[in-house]
Amino acid sequence: MATQVFLSWIAFLSYSAASVAAFSYLLTKNTRASRLMLVLMGAGLAAHVLAFAARILQFWVFPENRWFLPVNSFFGALSYMSLALTAAFFVIEARKRLGILGAFILPLAAVSLGLAVLHADPSLSPLEPELRSYWLNFHPMVLMSAYAAFANAFGVSVALIIQERQIKSRKPTELCYRLPSIDELDALNGKIIAVSLPLLVAGLVMGAMWAHAAWGRAWSWAPKETTALITAAIYGEFLWLRYARGRRGRIPIYVSMLAFACIVATFVSAELSSGRHDFLGGGR
Amino acid sequence: MRLVSLSWSHRSSASAAREALAMVSVERVLAELKRRGISESVAVSTCNRFELYAAGTPLAPPRIELLLGALEDLAGASLAAQAEVRRDKEAVEHLFAVAGGLDSLVVGETEILGQVKTGYERAKSAGMTDKRLNVLFQRALYVGKKVRTETAIAQGASSVPSVAVQMAESIFGRLEGKTALILGAGAMAELAAKHLAAHGVSKLSVANRTWERGYQLAAQYHGEAIGWDEFPKELERADMVIASTGAPSAVVTCAMVEAAVTRRGGRSLLLIDIAMPRDIEEKVHAIDGVYLYRLEDLEAIVAKTMASRAEAVAAALSVVQDKAVEFNLWAQSLSTDHELSLKHS
Repeated sequence: MATQVFLSWIAFLSYSAASVAAFSYLLTKNTRASRLMLVLMGAGLAAHVLAFAARILQFWVFPENRWFLPVNSFFGALSYMSLALTAAFFVIEARKRLGILGAFILPLAAVSLGLAVLHADPSLSPLEPELRSYWLNFHPMVLMSAYAAFANAFGVSVALIIQERQIKSRKPTELCYRLPSIDELDALNGKIIAVSLPLLVAGLVMGAMWAHAAWGRAWSWAPKETTALITAAIYGEFLWLRYARGRRGRIPIYVSMLAFACIVATFVSAELSSGRHDFLGGGR
Repeated sequence: MRLVSLSWSHRSSASAAREALAMVSVERVLAELKRRGISESVAVSTCNRFELYAAGTPLAPPRIELLLGALEDLAGASLAAQAEVRRDKEAVEHLFAVAGGLDSLVVGETEILGQVKTGYERAKSAGMTDKRLNVLFQRALYVGKKVRTETAIAQGASSVPSVAVQMAESIFGRLEGKTALILGAGAMAELAAKHLAAHGVSKLSVANRTWERGYQLAAQYHGEAIGWDEFPKELERADMVIASTGAPSAVVTCAMVEAAVTRRGGRSLLLIDIAMPRDIEEKVHAIDGVYLYRLEDLEAIVAKTMASRAEAVAAALSVVQDKAVEFNLWAQSLSTDHELSLKHS
């Protein structure tokens, strides 16, 4: 127990420090801050991978949990999302060299893991019989991976809306010259969403298949299901607006941001109601 | 070491002296000085300034009247009254400030660094530099770079065309592979074409009411001249449009841009209007993905850049002064047994 929590704390503090470094890079364009951000992010990611591995081993101490991933609790889910979020940003940074986006993306990873270590219960227990299905390793994992990728897109869209407003204002500040160009940010935002939306839909379909196999009913309009479906619809609307209609400017950006707000609502709605998607209630 | 500098710059002297000096080639100046027995001298000549540096020893310092006499004979004009004369520490500080762009008309501009370098290299190849001037000028080039990287003196775009390029880069990223449409073929249009071509814009189209002139401008920058009536169609393809025609009213209307935008597949469009009276209807700025910058917008950005550069002058001056003090300690150490070493840090 102690090991995974300790490592999670290290990862959380590293992500927080990396976020601060990323902000100082954004404000001062000091390249040392950018390198520091990468080092801290790398260290955090390493600690986080170890923390997750330690959590899996802890989880498997219960024989009935063997081969299942520990994402059935709020702690496990938040931790996994933060891990996937940072890993996705790592890939983006390696490919695009847009380290400045760390200021918009890393705080999300820090907040997600921070919620886990500060507010969620890290303890592990045997899985309830109804959760002991191979679907547990796919349905939530795929969805949370999609959410982590969408969080990256959200960070990109925050940078994009700032840049778009800067240039539309005709009075650009220093920030305008430091941020990547509108077209680069727009392409990245669109690309991440275009890749993640099929993932989200696949995760929902898997959930429906699991529900159908377990209870004979594919869809029950539970709050989490409903908000997730709305999320998919709004991202679909974004792709349609941006690529089918060729709309540019702030409207498509706001639509993509609204979809991310919907993801946050997905988690809140599940916690406010009770049901099998509720991490704090029965799902633990 | 003894050093003397003579300057005629945009700051101090009337243009007559500078114009007379600008006509004389640096090579001739160096040859004439050599003939008159001056062995260590560097001349820096630009359209805004003429600078002459001469070095000697405490026992044989450079003689100002000799330098002035040579220049006056070459320029065929009286120069002494307008010359700024500096000696030793003051002259070192002045050279460092000049190399740093602190004395330039556009503060922080980088061209002067290249001009100082050229002046030094000419003197070097004419055999007019010894250890003292070699170290002094290498130091000046180093300080010139240092103030630009360590202070905000050279940050931001400092002219209307470079601001236009900067805005294009903030929208499109790299300009390679981008297309520009130029409306008009006057001096401003040409300046814009030159800047865009220099920044890698790969296709330039020029539309002008008189096809001939548009063709000439297009040919100069490997662009394509199009008929005036065809430009609304070209709005669909171009990534940026630069308008500087002499038309009495707007030639690019909101309706034209709206029609083009529906067929652009969501690509951003940057419109730059540097014409007076306006060439592009102001309303187009309200269209999503369309960004209209007018001359006064670009000028305001330039003014902001210059204001922040002016704020950085104090910091740059302190770098210059530090390095001048350091150089003088080295220069003094030459007459002792222990020569100091200058570090590039």
